[in-house]
Amino acid sequence: MRAMGAFAAILRKDLRLELRSGQSTVALFALSLLILVVLVFTLSPDPANRAEASAGALWVAMVFAGMLGATRALLAENENGCMRALATSPIDPAMLYAAKLAAAFIFMTVAEGAAVILVVLFFNLEFGPELLRLAPPVVLGTLGFSALATLLAAISGRTRAGDLLLPLLAVPMFVPALIAGVKASAAALSGAELSAMTRWLGVLVAFDVLFVTLGGLLFEHVIGED
Amino acid sequence: MMTAPVVETHALGKSFGETPVLRDVNLKLYAGRAAILIGGNGAGKSTLLRILAGLGRPTTGRVTIFGEDSLSLSHQNRRRIGMLSHQSWLYPNLTAGENLEFYATLYGVAHPEAVADRWLDRVGLLSFRRERVRAFSRGMEQRLSLARAVLAQPMLLLLDEPFAALDPDGVAIVGGMVREQVERGCAVVMTAHGPTAVEGLELEAYSVVRGRLAPYGGERRGGRLRSIPGR
Repeated sequence: MRAMGAFAAILRKDLRLELRSGQSTVALFALSLLILVVLVFTLSPDPANRAEASAGALWVAMVFAGMLGATRALLAENENGCMRALATSPIDPAMLYAAKLAAAFIFMTVAEGAAVILVVLFFNLEFGPELLRLAPPVVLGTLGFSALATLLAAISGRTRAGDLLLPLLAVPMFVPALIAGVKASAAALSGAELSAMTRWLGVLVAFDVLFVTLGGLLFEHVIGED
Repeated sequence: MMTAPVVETHALGKSFGETPVLRDVNLKLYAGRAAILIGGNGAGKSTLLRILAGLGRPTTGRVTIFGEDSLSLSHQNRRRIGMLSHQSWLYPNLTAGENLEFYATLYGVAHPEAVADRWLDRVGLLSFRRERVRAFSRGMEQRLSLARAVLAQPMLLLLDEPFAALDPDGVAIVGGMVREQVERGCAVVMTAHGPTAVEGLELEAYSVVRGRLAPYGGERRGGRLRSIPGR
């Protein structure tokens, strides 16, 4: 019960800080917009490859915006050494990881929602119920990337070359999920059979399970002693 | 029957790479006692406090806190440690009240709002409850940070230069709070650059020179401080 209280307190604090500054959400949205504008002109998709191109653009926006989001979620903890306070507190490190992951997931999901709307507008897709088919790959991909990036941002936050280290580590490690996400999203947008998505959704689920578990197990060592 | 010490270090040593920072440190402190570590910059005082808080691993020797190894402290015993660090450990974009309520919840303190109000009042910051910490002076941050460290009623309080950046009123408030904590049975370890006294409190004083701990003023003076020498 106390663990859940601590989880809720950390999440509430992160959301309050974000609502107060709006830095993460605005930055995520602005970066997604910039990436999608560049990609829509670069790819100039024709109707035949529109689903693939829009899915690819969406996931590129998600990866780059996600790196920013995860960094921001942990930045407040590095200011004034607050992460040290959390590390010496009685909260279970796995619960602390879960709270930081939940905050990053919420920030990214809000930005993802905006990115999906921008993709639909820029790539001349239609707003309709078929768009809901995008939800499973996007939600699973966002969860996986949040899990990976939260862990890596905590590691990189303790190194001098932290800003450089995060993309160097996160992007290559996310490649399997990125491929699966693009394939599943393209299948969703092209109106393909559900079976065309399930194989790729399976890869995303496996990725999520792996990195959520790893994060929960390793976070103690990442934030622990100097 | 003799009670067990709250803090005990056995031949504690710490090196960063090839550079030794602490050497053969043996410290024992019981409940209701206060120790002060006096030394210049780089003497190893802060490193010792960080190890006592479980934020650093000794290179040699070992540390026991409440009878447990400092690196594998139970959550229950973690809850019994309060620390004031060089950094304030406060969120600049939260108000003073929100910061204390957050830490009170984290430590499972009942009625976080009332507890936050009580400690804000104690450190003279109740009228700043709704002010963001970003707007605080260094001295106000220091007082708020001490309130954060003591709000869960710790039984071991680690204070890294608690009187730094404080005006005379702040020194009186912090000194009074330290004395109250010791009087209720808390063990306090604090650091300072020079001899420092807390009114009405006997301090076990140690000098820290190049990572070595010795009774302050030598064995003859017994390492006790009641008033600031020379004043």
